[in-house]
Amino acid sequence: MGAYISVPVWERTIAQRYGLKGQRCLGCGAVLFPPKVVCPECGGHSFEAASLSGRGRIYSFTVIAGGGAPPEFEWQANAVGSYVVGLVELEEGPRIIAQIVGVDPRAAMAAPLFEDSAFEDSGGSSGDKGKRSLIGLPVKAVIRKVYEQEGVIRYGYKFKVVSEV
Amino acid sequence: MRDVAIVAAGQSEFGEFPQKSIKEIFAEAFDDMKSSLAGALDPSVIEAAYVGTLGVGGFQLGQPGPLLAKHVGLGNIPVTRVENACASGGFALLSAVLAVGSGQYDVVLAAGVEKMRDTSAMQGRYWLGVSGDTEYERLAGLTFAGIYAVMASRYMHDYHVPKKYLSMVAVKNHSHGALNPKAHFQRKITLEQAMGAANVAYPLNLFDCSPTSDGAAAVLVTSLERAREFTPSPVKVLGFGAGTDYLAIHERRSITGLEAARIAATKAFAMAGISPSDIDVAEVHDCFTIAEIMAYEDIGFAGRGEGWKLLEAGETTLGGRMPVNPSGGLKAKGHPLGATGIAQAVEIFNQLRGKAGKRQVAGARFGLTHNVGGSGGAATVFIFGIDA
Repeated sequence: MGAYISVPVWERTIAQRYGLKGQRCLGCGAVLFPPKVVCPECGGHSFEAASLSGRGRIYSFTVIAGGGAPPEFEWQANAVGSYVVGLVELEEGPRIIAQIVGVDPRAAMAAPLFEDSAFEDSGGSSGDKGKRSLIGLPVKAVIRKVYEQEGVIRYGYKFKVVSEV
Repeated sequence: MRDVAIVAAGQSEFGEFPQKSIKEIFAEAFDDMKSSLAGALDPSVIEAAYVGTLGVGGFQLGQPGPLLAKHVGLGNIPVTRVENACASGGFALLSAVLAVGSGQYDVVLAAGVEKMRDTSAMQGRYWLGVSGDTEYERLAGLTFAGIYAVMASRYMHDYHVPKKYLSMVAVKNHSHGALNPKAHFQRKITLEQAMGAANVAYPLNLFDCSPTSDGAAAVLVTSLERAREFTPSPVKVLGFGAGTDYLAIHERRSITGLEAARIAATKAFAMAGISPSDIDVAEVHDCFTIAEIMAYEDIGFAGRGEGWKLLEAGETTLGGRMPVNPSGGLKAKGHPLGATGIAQAVEIFNQLRGKAGKRQVAGARFGLTHNVGGSGGAATVFIFGIDA
């Protein structure tokens, strides 16, 4: 039981899942992902292929517990307790939604969502990553196992937090 | 378009009813609607019907309209199922209002129904995800709780809103639900309970989420011209609007409000010729607590980023300046998807006629309903007034 994304449906998006293949509008230059037939910026209909760098920043996020997971991700919630999903704003412009790997879900929930003097560390322990909100952190796309259905492992993009340049 | 009114309105109890089928729940709402009339209703006067339902569970995904219409004794009239996820009810009402407004029909039924408690926990979460962008959004591991959670995180980040304000929506709506004998949850909760519940999709916990419910609701829509054949106090449809947006939140420029709802509200107010400050009572789509706060802003009750401040002052609590979700809202009254948009109209119908019992908003003249599909892919807003 799950969102029924059959193998043929999945295969049609392999270029996106594995290679982040998007498009660039020939009318206004906007970069779009996933591909569309009408540009939301200018209404144009002509595009060229555009590969995305996979680099961006976390625009927003959530930490999913078992009760919030779709059935096909229940195995993951069962295995690790919770997982982090982020809305990532890529360097080229588009936002993309995917799991964030390598982040402790508890730390993600413990950090304040906004800067407030009441939450600031008086000791200046700025090295404590657990106190830093995920929002705004730089990330890079990686290929990981997303889930499994019809006996077929589905690989695709997730994002991992990278150091500030 | 000619003037349209609601002349009768009713709903079933919302909750978990193992002994009742979808037909029995629907009939309960239809009978309750009939009982809101002074006299008897001859079902043969109903010329068309629109039934909102997602079809959760899939056991009557095709043709629930004919099944339910014939079960309650309607004639062999055109009956259409209307589907727009959690806004199915609002769009069924829209269809009925347009059908009467166009002059094609004089008397039309708008109803909604959902039977959700029959499904297992796993099936339930499957059905809660079918209305999102399946290919991309859901395959990040998100159901609607997660999608609204992503909106909530950014909203709290942008406007510096502590979690407490989300929980205050739940506390308020439970306090209202405690006054509603048809609500799924008829009990108050404390702020400590609301803030301390188990995580579902951070920053949303269990008490930030509306329940899955069994329930149905029905309203009878007529031309204003013929309304008094049915009741001396019809509720007039003063304005309405509907809107659509990209289904997936990654396609939207702003995720701290719902563009579809903003469009719907703007159109509804323009048509009604009144402003948000004229509204005395509103039923808004609080599928998750953050959704009610965004609704305040999308409708225009508060400025952008300021909706949460209405909670601090208690302005939207019963007894406040403009009570929102006196029925308990989706959070406490319950959320049988297809029924919700119609049930909101039932509550406003009762409020404007002074028949809302212990949760009556004194002297309410203008009421509003705000119904959202999924995470904002579709929305309807209706403005009603008592035709005194």
